[in-house]
Amino acid sequence: MTIEFRDVHASYDANTPILRGVSFTVNDGEFVAFVGTNGAGKSTTMRLVNGLMKPESGEVLIDGVPTTQLKTSELARRVGFLFQNPDSQICCNTVREELLFGFRALKMDMDDAARRVDGIIAEFGFNPDDDPFLLNRGTRQLLALASIVVLETPVVVLDEPTTGLDFRECVKVMDIIRRLHERGTTVVMVCHDMEVVADFAERVIVMSDGLVVDQGPTFEVLRNRRTLEAASLVPPQIVDISLALQLMDPALVESPIARANTLAELYAAIAPDAQAVSFEGVAR
Amino acid sequence: MNGFLEYVPGTSLLHRMNPVAKLLFAVIFAIMCFCTSNLVFLGAMLVLGLVMAASCGMMRQTFGLMKAVFVFSLILALLLILTSSSGEPLVDLPWGYIGTGSILAAVTTSVRLEAAAIPLFLTFYVTKMSDLSNSVVKVLHVPYKYAFTFTSTVHFIPVFMNDMKGIMEAQTARGVEFDQGGFVNKVRLMVPLCVPLLVSSVRKTNSAAIAAEVRGFNLRTRESGYKQYPFAAYDIAALVLVIALVVVAVILH
Ligand SMILES: Nc1ncnc2c1ncn2[C@@H]1O[C@H](COP(=O)(O)OP(=O)(O)OP(=O)(O)O)[C@@H](O)[C@H]1O
Ligand SMILES: [Mg+2]
Repeated sequence: MTIEFRDVHASYDANTPILRGVSFTVNDGEFVAFVGTNGAGKSTTMRLVNGLMKPESGEVLIDGVPTTQLKTSELARRVGFLFQNPDSQICCNTVREELLFGFRALKMDMDDAARRVDGIIAEFGFNPDDDPFLLNRGTRQLLALASIVVLETPVVVLDEPTTGLDFRECVKVMDIIRRLHERGTTVVMVCHDMEVVADFAERVIVMSDGLVVDQGPTFEVLRNRRTLEAASLVPPQIVDISLALQLMDPALVESPIARANTLAELYAAIAPDAQAVSFEGVAR
Repeated sequence: MNGFLEYVPGTSLLHRMNPVAKLLFAVIFAIMCFCTSNLVFLGAMLVLGLVMAASCGMMRQTFGLMKAVFVFSLILALLLILTSSSGEPLVDLPWGYIGTGSILAAVTTSVRLEAAAIPLFLTFYVTKMSDLSNSVVKVLHVPYKYAFTFTSTVHFIPVFMNDMKGIMEAQTARGVEFDQGGFVNKVRLMVPLCVPLLVSSVRKTNSAAIAAEVRGFNLRTRESGYKQYPFAAYDIAALVLVIALVVVAVILH
């Protein structure tokens, strides 16, 4: 399922434009990350994808159909949406009910729903009778994510799924998202953590002040000094080191150092003869 | 962007007036509107209210309020028309009649409600909540605890409204169709949303209470406020004016 923005303008009130002509395409099955400063318009863009907002001009197309022609429930069947704050999403008294909520809202087959919910409960290791509001922050986030995943929508949109989580919870969440993507789901994710972006996204779209300022394969974008500056991004550490080395010695721009994406690649580029230690383990 | 009952900055006379004077003026003004049934006088008070709104650039919000009050007063007016049989009979009803008097009473009630609401409403838009509570504590010697309770209640209204909007959006994104079906359907869909709203509001009030405690809420007394709230000549003038209006209202009956 593809998502296409064509010169989209949008705002919350008429005097302050938020999106000022945004165009991009997300292809079927892709994993795309949106990055940019606070207030750049990333969340607004996500709200346009699932039809919570409609464009003032231009078009948002889901599989070629403008969102203005789709009912909210039809959109919800196509696009799963994880909000930044899980508490605004959770509304049932037990974990199990919470996971069933989406099926009820969409009036889907409840036998099938029960089967899928059981699967998810086992996969995530939830206790189905827990009260969602008493769970800790990380588990609430996982539950919110699970209630999206269980619906098996062809597109999932995630607004900062890892913000506020500790490292272990972050890995758990990203692991689920990775598996989702491997099953063929189109993933669109807003993220401020460039290490996460570098590890998972296939393509990056950079936003600044309501415009798309750069887009392309993850490392091409993250290695572009002008883009990093325009959107005040701090690149992943490996890219940072590689860029710093290139600044010290401009001749390195043509060397493998300039193309290293992982610690192992960077190490191999700096010391091609050293073979004794594998850095794969450390880099992971 | 401006929320419900949220301070609108400005430098108009109404902005500069003493918060207590504003509050007293608005409350006495509202009471005054209920002291008389003289339609001409009430109409004049409504115009006075609109002039005040215009003087501080709040016409748009005031019209919003007037619309809301109008809907409410329409219900009252309808009741009055159907139940009070007075004046020249116009339409016969099984239990009485609709007369010119009934119509007059209905119109008077609507105008009265509108006139009484405007200054009260304006007071909240032209006064910072902190000024309102501090001055009530300083000048009227209201215990700080009560003033704080009141202002934080008012302060939380837009926060809750915002929360509710966020929660409804989250449900919409999961396929709940608030825009389909009638009013009953909407209410049915909104009931489950009360749970997350309640949870988040209890959490918020709880953390607000803790934040207030750790910053020495209990130590606060009337002398704690730095800002003084002296009455200026125009504050006195406003209060004299409103009392004069009460006298006129009582005389006109
Ligand atoms: N409900 C709203 N009403 C009015 N303005 C809003 C609303 N939500 C966001 N904005 C404004 O729109 C602009 C873009 O907001 P948006 O949430 O899209 O940014 P973002 O890129 O997601 O930022 P962040 O990284 O902080 O989440 C901001 O300047 C914000 O103040
Ligand atoms: Mg955001």
